[in-house]
Amino acid sequence: MTRDDGRIRLTLVGGFLGSGKSTWVRHQLHEGRFSGALVIVNEAAEAPVDNVLLAGAARMELLAGGCACCTGREAMVALLRDVCDRRTRPGGDAEPVEEILLETSGLADPGPIVEAIGSDPVLVHHVVLRETVVAVDGVDGLRQVAGEPLWRRQAQAADRFVVTKVDRADPEELRRLVATLASVSPGVPVEGVVMGSPAPLPDAGGAEPMPLADGGLDDRAILATRLTIDERTDWVTFAVWLSALLHARGDDVLRVKGVIRTPAGRLLLQSVRRVVQNPEILPEGFEAGATEDDTVAFIGRGFTEEDLRRSLDLFAEPR
Amino acid sequence: MCSNCGFPSAPGHWTDAGAPPGTDRVRARHRRAAVLGRVLPAWGLTVTDDTFIPGLTVSTRTGMHRMVADLGEFWTAAEDLSGRRIDPLDPDFLRRGR
Repeated sequence: MTRDDGRIRLTLVGGFLGSGKSTWVRHQLHEGRFSGALVIVNEAAEAPVDNVLLAGAARMELLAGGCACCTGREAMVALLRDVCDRRTRPGGDAEPVEEILLETSGLADPGPIVEAIGSDPVLVHHVVLRETVVAVDGVDGLRQVAGEPLWRRQAQAADRFVVTKVDRADPEELRRLVATLASVSPGVPVEGVVMGSPAPLPDAGGAEPMPLADGGLDDRAILATRLTIDERTDWVTFAVWLSALLHARGDDVLRVKGVIRTPAGRLLLQSVRRVVQNPEILPEGFEAGATEDDTVAFIGRGFTEEDLRRSLDLFAEPR
Repeated sequence: MCSNCGFPSAPGHWTDAGAPPGTDRVRARHRRAAVLGRVLPAWGLTVTDDTFIPGLTVSTRTGMHRMVADLGEFWTAAEDLSGRRIDPLDPDFLRRGR
């Protein structure tokens, strides 16, 4: 996988306390994925536990004593800046870091972490978010859904769900959990695992999603929709429109993701709430998930597909 | 960055990513002004971008104006000048005919 822009690829692994993040990461490393990656483990507690489990990583750093999304934010930014610095300085690392796997603490909200990286004047040029994987506890997940508003913020940031401990979970509860994930983040792929290895999930068809703990969060239904960018809508039109949309509705437009063809090449565009990541130019033929070019997915609430289409149409050149 | 005034201070808003530097970038700035010019009258505003100096200028019909570096600052400045919230999903805006 060659990258055009030379930025470090970052994979975030989130999920509630005890949801199986470290087990999943350890298995990925064991299988040879993320080989050569720098693994950063963030512990909210002072006592590092996870780093013992993750001894298989080629390189590893520990961020203890605070969540990277709040109290540990400065420490995380400092660590990442140091990684970038060593990578670009002559006589720095013998094998520069090209990939980072950041396991967040179980109490972290991935949204502010993405924002911290996107708003840092150094990191924004050196680090690109590849994917946010959110681990969901197959056994205890439903109770967290009902009781923890934080769980929902984690779930809304996901590009991919990994439902853990599938072998020990009640099949009915699992179906309900999968249905709940689909209602929180529609269209986000869901995989089952046992000790990090893939395991089949039951079909959630007809299962009732669990009511969510709101904790001051919005209860309106979340919609996933796709807009096709037609020939009247070039990159400039789309970018102007999206900047206006996120300015006005950034709290409601939870995720935007898609690949758009522009004069500069194929741009991978993604946002988490108001933060749009500096778009990455993809090589021709490189597949970014299952999305087709010039199709952009929107996940959010308080708007309809028709509204988006109509609004974008008003920005585009008249027919 | 402009070597005289140091504007804009931060490199690259994400919306600038779609055009490589050079003539394409100038063309993209003309296009950007054209797109904004289509929709801003709905909020009583106009935009100018001469492409010789960095940034673009948003103005009211009475001549109040503000210069901004990029689209990241643009909408806040435009809302300040018009005194209204600029929401592209505003039902009044969506009802506008062509």
